[in-house]
Amino acid sequence: MSGIRRERLVDLATYAVALILVVLFAAPLLWLMSLAIRTPAEVFLGAARFVPQDPTLDNFRQILTDRTFGLYLWNGIKLCALGALGALIVAAPAAYVFSRRRFRGASALMLGILMVQMVSPLVLLIPLYRYMERLGLLETHAAAAGVYMALGVPLSVWMLKASFDAIPKSLEEAAAIDGCAPSRILFFVTLPLAAPGMASAFILNMLMGWSQFLVPFILLTRDQLQPISVAIFNYAGSTSASTTQLLAAACVITVLPAIAAFLALQRLIVSAIMAGAVKG
Amino acid sequence: MDPNEQRVRAARRPAAWPWLAPALLLLGAFYLVPILDVLRLAFGDATLLRPASSYGLDGVRDILAQPALPGVLRVTAIFTAASVLGILALGLLVALLVVRGEARRLAGMGVLRTVVLTAWVVPGIANGLIWQMLFSEAPFGALNSTLGVVGIAPVRWLSDPTNAMISAVIANVWQGTAFAMIVLYAARKGLSDDLYAAAAIDGAGPIARFIFITLPQMRPAILVTTILVTIQTLNTFDVILALTGGGPGRTTEVLSLFTFNTVFNNFDLSGGSVLAILLVLIALVLTIIYIRVLVDHPDRRQ
Repeated sequence: MSGIRRERLVDLATYAVALILVVLFAAPLLWLMSLAIRTPAEVFLGAARFVPQDPTLDNFRQILTDRTFGLYLWNGIKLCALGALGALIVAAPAAYVFSRRRFRGASALMLGILMVQMVSPLVLLIPLYRYMERLGLLETHAAAAGVYMALGVPLSVWMLKASFDAIPKSLEEAAAIDGCAPSRILFFVTLPLAAPGMASAFILNMLMGWSQFLVPFILLTRDQLQPISVAIFNYAGSTSASTTQLLAAACVITVLPAIAAFLALQRLIVSAIMAGAVKG
Repeated sequence: MDPNEQRVRAARRPAAWPWLAPALLLLGAFYLVPILDVLRLAFGDATLLRPASSYGLDGVRDILAQPALPGVLRVTAIFTAASVLGILALGLLVALLVVRGEARRLAGMGVLRTVVLTAWVVPGIANGLIWQMLFSEAPFGALNSTLGVVGIAPVRWLSDPTNAMISAVIANVWQGTAFAMIVLYAARKGLSDDLYAAAAIDGAGPIARFIFITLPQMRPAILVTTILVTIQTLNTFDVILALTGGGPGRTTEVLSLFTFNTVFNNFDLSGGSVLAILLVLIALVLTIIYIRVLVDHPDRRQ
């Protein structure tokens, strides 16, 4: 009996600690939301008005009707999507071979691909900036998306290999007996079956790209080319205490797409990372 | 041989290299060549505006003798150590709480996991800006006005050197905990219940179970998490750039931010390359130390 009572007490403690952690982890974004829907007058009331008495969407309207902010969002989506798509296209055949074939040096190569991911983009961008300059590719989305793509390849190879590993080979063998070429098997048999893995790799690449600051900051200096991550940094430099609510709204607009995409696909993404984590 | 079988074998064994070529070429162009080039640049005197005219160790010596460097390394050490400890402790706490909640079928524990993960997808720059608003030292700033409600005087979160470091660590831990949580959660789920059942029969309490089963069994996962979080933290600079800009003075300027400033504000390409190599070397040395401490240890004891 006392054992059960003790478990109940521990349950209660579990809830108490969990509640504290939820509040601590949720507070920054809740406060951001609160600031973003305040009028300038209510910003100055601080914590006394956590829930604004007079909530307004005016800040969002002001940021979103600013035509360049729409452009920053579009630039961000474009760079991330091109980078993520490119990374998957390049990573899929490599991951397929790693998954289906034993060949000399395979595990060393996989490890090498994992290791390069640990190199800071800062290190890579010092020379990359010069190459792009020489090639006349500075200030182009193509160059920036190319770097996004390269940065996404290592993770994509690992994630796609894990998802190919989970697909039984029998279907591929049946297709092979029917005379299907390996590239067609990958395209028409394996990839459709690996759709959840492909989707989570795509979304993770998108999220990583959305957070990317250094690459566009260095390679794109023209304002109308910049993605939102760089744009809010520049915008923050031009704001003051009297426009905090506008900066907050701009931050909400920046983080909301990432959070929405993540929440919608949370189960898929978390299981994909966990599959990778268990193997690693 | 049966032609069908031949076809199956051919399909099973496509030549590997053509399939690997696109990925390897891309990684070669965007990783291998730049890394080799950084090594070359480090020993030259190139700037962002002109190529190197001579090579030698003078440049390396100059940049390593910079008076700011020892301070930067100290700041890096403090920021990294505090962040890694905070991230590991909180990540482990959340992971174990969620596992316990699931085991006891407590409703609503998934919320904790989701909230922690939400912070993870916030871009680093936005993270710095959000915390800058929270740490605002104005009387209406989030934390200071909250403290004011309970009668505590405003804190100089960002203009005091010590507090600025604490603030930067808090912002980084807030975001970084999620990754540690996922890896440690996966590892904890992978532990067999038998060990815990046996321990329960022996009358081991929760603390004993944590120290003698959970921690040792999760050693490999903790090792991997520590290495990855350390490297991530060493490479982090966007949060700090947006939150404090490295200030006040240079009290939150970590090595990656210092490298960034050297290259892209002072246009010292060679100096930046030396610092970039230093950054990679530090990560490498720490990784080796972790592996020694966390992997070799149990073998030596046996």
